[in-house]
Amino acid sequence: MLDLQGDLRNAMSASATVTPLPCRTDLVTWFFLAALVCSSCGPNPDSGEDAQVTTLGSLEVTAELEEIRGQFPNLPNYDYAFVFKYRVLEVYRGELKSDTLYVGHYNPLKPRDGVKDARVKEIGGNLGRFRVGELHRMALEVPIDDYYMGGIVNRYFKEKVGPIYWAVWTNRVVK
Amino acid sequence: MSRGTIWVVAVVVGLVHSIVFADQPAKEARVAELVKEVGNKGWIVYGARCKNDTWDLYASRPDGSQWRNLTKTPDFEEGAPRFSPDNKQLLFRRFAKGTRIHHDKWGFQGRLVIANADGSHPVVVGEEGEYPWAAWSPDGRKIACLKPKGIEIVDLATKKVVRTLPRKGIYQQLFWSPDGKWFCGTANNLGENWNIARMNVETGELNAVHTFRNCTPDWFPDSRHIIFSNRPADQPGNKGHGWTQLWMADGDGKESRLIYGEDGYHIYGGALSPDGKYVLLTKTREDGGGSERSGGPICVMRTADAPTIGGKSSELRKVHPDTKDGPVLQLRRGWEPCWTYKEIFATQ
Repeated sequence: MLDLQGDLRNAMSASATVTPLPCRTDLVTWFFLAALVCSSCGPNPDSGEDAQVTTLGSLEVTAELEEIRGQFPNLPNYDYAFVFKYRVLEVYRGELKSDTLYVGHYNPLKPRDGVKDARVKEIGGNLGRFRVGELHRMALEVPIDDYYMGGIVNRYFKEKVGPIYWAVWTNRVVK
Repeated sequence: MSRGTIWVVAVVVGLVHSIVFADQPAKEARVAELVKEVGNKGWIVYGARCKNDTWDLYASRPDGSQWRNLTKTPDFEEGAPRFSPDNKQLLFRRFAKGTRIHHDKWGFQGRLVIANADGSHPVVVGEEGEYPWAAWSPDGRKIACLKPKGIEIVDLATKKVVRTLPRKGIYQQLFWSPDGKWFCGTANNLGENWNIARMNVETGELNAVHTFRNCTPDWFPDSRHIIFSNRPADQPGNKGHGWTQLWMADGDGKESRLIYGEDGYHIYGGALSPDGKYVLLTKTREDGGGSERSGGPICVMRTADAPTIGGKSSELRKVHPDTKDGPVLQLRRGWEPCWTYKEIFATQ
């Protein structure tokens, strides 16, 4: 097993007996260099474009996830779609009359690349988790009932919003 | 321990027992009365696991006597039987051996089979997944199926679709009322989630019967009331998720009330006797009715005894202080029971 702490202690004590001052300077330099490298280590910009999101569904948008209303229901024995509120930033295909979108995502607790199942086969994407404020590039269909036959949790029901879109493909976007 | 101490302990134990189980003989007498009352009222049929662990159809008298395996098909799983309106046939689904029957999706699974009421002469009507959620028409000549594109009415003799209606958000558990005027089912678009809907068969008009966390609706014989499972909000039990109870409502959704509930159990499989005087239900610790495992004990109670609460259920009793605590007859384990008053066996 590697003993990194021991190696570091040995190196430092060895250096300390020979050239204590230059060693300290080196460490500080290395620290700043490492910090500089790390600060430029953020995720690379990603438009979310791929072969599926640009071809599936009848509508393609990039939108900001504006609200996740309440907690996801804890229903491990059930499959369901959960309705999210989005603010549309860009429309690539199809027509939209509003910049607010209500989108039903299937089984939202699962990553999109593992969400399809025997009954809901043609959905996916690379989004791992739903977080408010993040941007998603989505291929959508509408109305949801024409493409999905199962339980829908719609916490916007009382506000009579609509239509509800069906998320076919959902990729993460990084600006 | 001295003899005196033993006597004291025995007396204390006896007193505690007599206090805790004071009403036990009375309860047993009331259940015995119910047994006598329903014993000769036809048959109930349901799915249950047999010795080789596959699901078969079983029949018993409503008191649990004369229990027998109807289908004996070790190479298949079978469940969800429904008597035809004339009680001469059974409609059910047959699944490939080893299939995990999903409590929420079984109507999409397996093949539709129609057999004689005693399970003899089964005829496979469709392919795997065909005729989803098939339900008898009132004349028994057609079935209604629930498909993504809509509700299809299929003529059983010709297998032709004679009519299609928009499903308007209904997505599972479709049933046709005995008077032929209505469908009921579990639906979206009427509330936040899992709503019971009624649809006018002629016009396609839809109304909410009960909203929020309901499923498995079925008709009362009067075609005016619907029985269904409901998990009301704000129950502290089951880590805040609550327990599923059996409820009824009128078709236009104006009145609803508890039929049976028991903290610690999920109640599903609600069905009525042919005259509506008795209720069938199943109870399971796990949510869903138990089709993934071995079902749950099938229970029989009087409709007139609703609301009835089982067990201690201290939380539920606070919400329903009007409970009648009627007798509940507990039978063998099963799933999705149905009831006929007709004699289904030729030798009877």
